[in-house]
Amino acid sequence: MKLAVVVQRYGPAINGGAELHARYVAEHLARHAEVEVLTTCATDYVSWHNELSANVETINGVSVRRFRVRHERDTTDFGRRSDHVFKLPHSVADELAWLDSEGPASPSLVRFINRNATRYDYLFFFSYRYYHAYHGARAAPSRAVLVPTAERDDAIGLSIFPAIFRGVRAIMYNSPEERAMIEAIAANQQVPSVVVGIGSEVPANPQPGRFRQKFNIRGPFAVYVGRIDENKGCRELFEAFLEYVRCESTRLSLVLIGNSMLPIPEHPRIRHLGFLDDGDKFDAIAGSELLVMPSYFESLSMVALEAWALGRPVLANARCDVLKGQSIRSNAGLYYETRAEFVETLKALEANRWLSVALGRNGRQFFREHYDWPVIERKYLDMMARLAKEPAGPGIEPLPGWLARRRRDRPAAREVVAALAAGPVVRSEAPRAVDTTQSQAPTRPAPPQAQRRSGGERDHGDRRRRGWQARPQARRQRPGGA
Amino acid sequence: MSDFNVRSDSVNVEQIMEQIRARIREKRGVDYTEQEVRELAAVKLEKFLDPRGVRSDLLEQFRKKESAETSQPLPNYEFTDQTLYETHRAPIRWIRQLLNPLLKLFFNPNPLIQALHIQSQLNTMTVERDAARRGLVQLQYEVLHNLVLETTRLGIEVKNLKMRVESMTGRLEFNERRARALESVVVYKSPDERERGGGGRAPHPEPAMPRPEPPPPRSEAPAQPAAPVAETSEGPGQRSRRRRRRRGRRGGGLASTIMGGPQAPATSAPEADAVREAVGGHDTAAESIEREMAADSMSGPETDDPGPGEE
Repeated sequence: MKLAVVVQRYGPAINGGAELHARYVAEHLARHAEVEVLTTCATDYVSWHNELSANVETINGVSVRRFRVRHERDTTDFGRRSDHVFKLPHSVADELAWLDSEGPASPSLVRFINRNATRYDYLFFFSYRYYHAYHGARAAPSRAVLVPTAERDDAIGLSIFPAIFRGVRAIMYNSPEERAMIEAIAANQQVPSVVVGIGSEVPANPQPGRFRQKFNIRGPFAVYVGRIDENKGCRELFEAFLEYVRCESTRLSLVLIGNSMLPIPEHPRIRHLGFLDDGDKFDAIAGSELLVMPSYFESLSMVALEAWALGRPVLANARCDVLKGQSIRSNAGLYYETRAEFVETLKALEANRWLSVALGRNGRQFFREHYDWPVIERKYLDMMARLAKEPAGPGIEPLPGWLARRRRDRPAAREVVAALAAGPVVRSEAPRAVDTTQSQAPTRPAPPQAQRRSGGERDHGDRRRRGWQARPQARRQRPGGA
Repeated sequence: MSDFNVRSDSVNVEQIMEQIRARIREKRGVDYTEQEVRELAAVKLEKFLDPRGVRSDLLEQFRKKESAETSQPLPNYEFTDQTLYETHRAPIRWIRQLLNPLLKLFFNPNPLIQALHIQSQLNTMTVERDAARRGLVQLQYEVLHNLVLETTRLGIEVKNLKMRVESMTGRLEFNERRARALESVVVYKSPDERERGGGGRAPHPEPAMPRPEPPPPRSEAPAQPAAPVAETSEGPGQRSRRRRRRRGRRGGGLASTIMGGPQAPATSAPEADAVREAVGGHDTAAESIEREMAADSMSGPETDDPGPGEE
């Protein structure tokens, strides 16, 4: 069996969420099949500048074929087009122009797929919103398996994508929330799909003591790992944590790991350690009392999974449906919507050791059952085995004609997204007839259908407490990286 | 923080979150979000100002109106000494200039030209001033809007702080009563009595007797033989209580007087302090303390406690 993994960037030094996801999947599938990665020469997700040469190389035992990007991203043009298609009625041509502007526009990659698709049994396309996935899936729909890594941002409301979701051969979702969102927007229940996610290489014996000694960390602490950015909810995290610190008899410090785009408050109980390697990161998580995840948008939080793998509870932002859903389904994390909830949940975890331990234990169990690499690999292999037995579908619907493409009849993407049901999927989903792999790792008795709370179903009190700051309507022209 | 009711291994996160939210509601009443504060601010604006004349979304309306106004530039004209004779046709311009002396025979156009020129300049200045004023007015509106928001936020905060102060006052009063209750049962013993009694508990609280000899200076007190024993036998809690008691009574007479003892010796306060230092281990009757504390807590916060002087 020969597989292709098609992703916007690829390399050992590239740590974007979707790109890392693609690399892990490629390296693990390489144990079961011949895998080739098709990617661009870009390493920077903002400019898509061709930094690497267009050739074939081997990275960690996986063959990587690179293609040049035709043009770099013009951020001004992309911002203007994003405003247009997200906020105003527009045409299909506008959306296609937006996609081209977003990049990485690599017609040579698409041409290669078009000509050589038959060389591969399946092509796994990562990140639905980029040029390579859209045009690549259209070039080989009968072999295209999409890993959307979709978040609840404005791009999912564009009208060019539902046809892709309906026409690919299969979809590997990251979370039940992502599946529910895409099915709501594309009505693609007939497409074979499975909630897979991604595993992580967590060390068996992390050394929290070494971390404390190396960075002179004393006392109990909560840890945040990731880019320190407003879009990741870090500003709210700082405000809430300072409120927690003002309370009497609280002891936790906050340790921040990652590059900072924000000014970090000067406080003796807030420590910023910058970017750390994986060893230190795992030591830090293992030594912490809990992991804080303040992000609003996640298709799957790898660091939350890593914390669970290490037996640490997670305190997540409840406004991120995926994180809240994962916390509820795993029974391994608490969540907050307001500062008061943040403070109280943190106090609860600090004061009730048994709670922290129980949540951590549940987290470890949840990780083992759903996100351990053997489980992930098995899900991929099962899906491919199933696709080999089933005939391919009708493929992707063709684009409208020249005139229809220019008719301004598409609603603003933001309006489409706002109309979608929100909220976490609170129970494990029932195994579908088409979803054989889901039945392998149930944690609890599953109800007949997934229970997803729509935004309108929230109780009044819940809505009153929703967020002390207005939820950002959209991530600011999210330039790349899931 | 008190424990949760969930006490099994099968933790239910949603249940815990419900309990946390219930606790927040108990503590803080209604927790206002940013949006709610804005809504409250809007409501207040309508209350204070005439709702028919002023909208609650004042700033937004103002900006809309402002943008509509600024989108149409005000008309103006340039007027110079040649404006009267201007034309795009060169021959006509030449004829007009040729006949200009003839025109001046009939009337003097210069004052007219000058007046219109000044008017043109005035128009320009008015437009500039108007633009500056608009900027200022926008700033004022913003300040007003922010003030209303901040006042609302402060109002809510003041309310919360008042509740917190009330709660802390209650706790403080309770602690004071508890401290007084503890003080009322402390028994002082002279070293002789301690030696005779072998450090055992006194059956009744007895007032401390002044030492027959004048006490040494306080700095020398630890050098006395009883002091180390006392220090080793005391816990940090006892020491801090003693310090508090001493602070409270400095200038108020001897402990025995305050404690309502039968004798009120004429020793000075430093002497009394020295006596206490020398005595060192004042013997606390633990049972009596517990009884007192129980009685105090049962009496509730409303009970009038006699002050130290009245005991």
